Amino acid sequence: MRPLPRLLLLTVLVVAVPADAKTTVIDDSGTLPYDAPLVLHWQQLSPRRPVNNRMTGTLTVRVKLHVAPWLRRPGRIYLALPAQQPGAMNASWSTQGRLLPGRVSSGSRSLVYSGLITTPSIEDVLQLTLEVDGTQLRQLYHVNFRFEMDGE
Amino acid sequence: MSPLRRDTYPRLGGAGLHNARRLARLVLCAALLAPVSDTVCAFTITISNGPPKTVYLQVGVGGFIGQYNTGGTPANNATVNQESVSVAAAAVGNGTAQAMTTDSTVGASSYDGFLRCNVPAQLYIGGFYRTPGLGATGSATVTAIVPAALVDAGGDILSFAQISWTSGGNGDSGSEPFPAGGFSAGVVQTVGSIAQNQWAESCWTFSYSNTTFPAAGTYTGRVLYTLTAP
Repeated sequence: MRPLPRLLLLTVLVVAVPADAKTTVIDDSGTLPYDAPLVLHWQQLSPRRPVNNRMTGTLTVRVKLHVAPWLRRPGRIYLALPAQQPGAMNASWSTQGRLLPGRVSSGSRSLVYSGLITTPSIEDVLQLTLEVDGTQLRQLYHVNFRFEMDGE
Repeated sequence: MSPLRRDTYPRLGGAGLHNARRLARLVLCAALLAPVSDTVCAFTITISNGPPKTVYLQVGVGGFIGQYNTGGTPANNATVNQESVSVAAAAVGNGTAQAMTTDSTVGASSYDGFLRCNVPAQLYIGGFYRTPGLGATGSATVTAIVPAALVDAGGDILSFAQISWTSGGNGDSGSEPFPAGGFSAGVVQTVGSIAQNQWAESCWTFSYSNTTFPAAGTYTGRVLYTLTAP
């Protein structure tokens, strides 16, 4: 009877990931700027009660996604903000219409495109705002984003 | 399109630095992207904790435009306020402390408008210290540059050590960020501190100890308060 718990665990793990789900990181190497410096400022310059120690900054990112591998196929594109230093973060963005505006918290992702891929690349200009807990900032950080494709 | 295409773009730095950065980025990407199928880098935003350190100090009339809770912002104000007292001739040197008053009209907190200090008996002092990084760099310190003496028109002097103050304000409890004290003549002395990401304020009530017999006259001197962040 001992192999049973192990078998159950294996079953649970397999069920958690649908067999046909395929997430692929999209090549966004055409995005500019690639490694953008962002100057943060306090959301609340003076520390009022309740003290808000969030810092925020906005920059423009010209996104270019290489989606040729999914040409003439339906797909869903997400902007993901992986969990990373300096801890909890939020990002929000507006677009010029090719991609969807939205917001995302670190460790999650948000849908920015859903539909048929009709061109080899998708381009848009994002006004991206990053929000960070200022008390967690102790050094210089490289905050990584990625675009993910859920193909069918 | 190859995942390494971006690394063909011109970069600053030598070949060694370039390769080191590329290697570091690839390692980082591999770690970040492990849950998904392809190890392709994505765009990066670089943030630092450098520029946003901010301090504000107000002694007497301040420079706030509006109030904090209505979107006010700190600004400069060149006003120099006075603390003064006139001692009756019969009372000079009798050892009875003489209460001083301020010409500042500010009794309301710049924090929220609460009537913290009672003018003209009390002088408002308040400020804030904003810096990223919790507990990393200590508190901001307020110092007073104190001249050796107050001087009258005839060159007579009166030691600044004759002046002291108590600290407290309406609704206050616990210790004051700018506690009671007395001037030390001719030195730079610490008169309070502001912890990181906090607002601090107190109300000072000055008095002249009146233990000496200076020549008749009007004695003046200026103390300069400075807020210094680490």
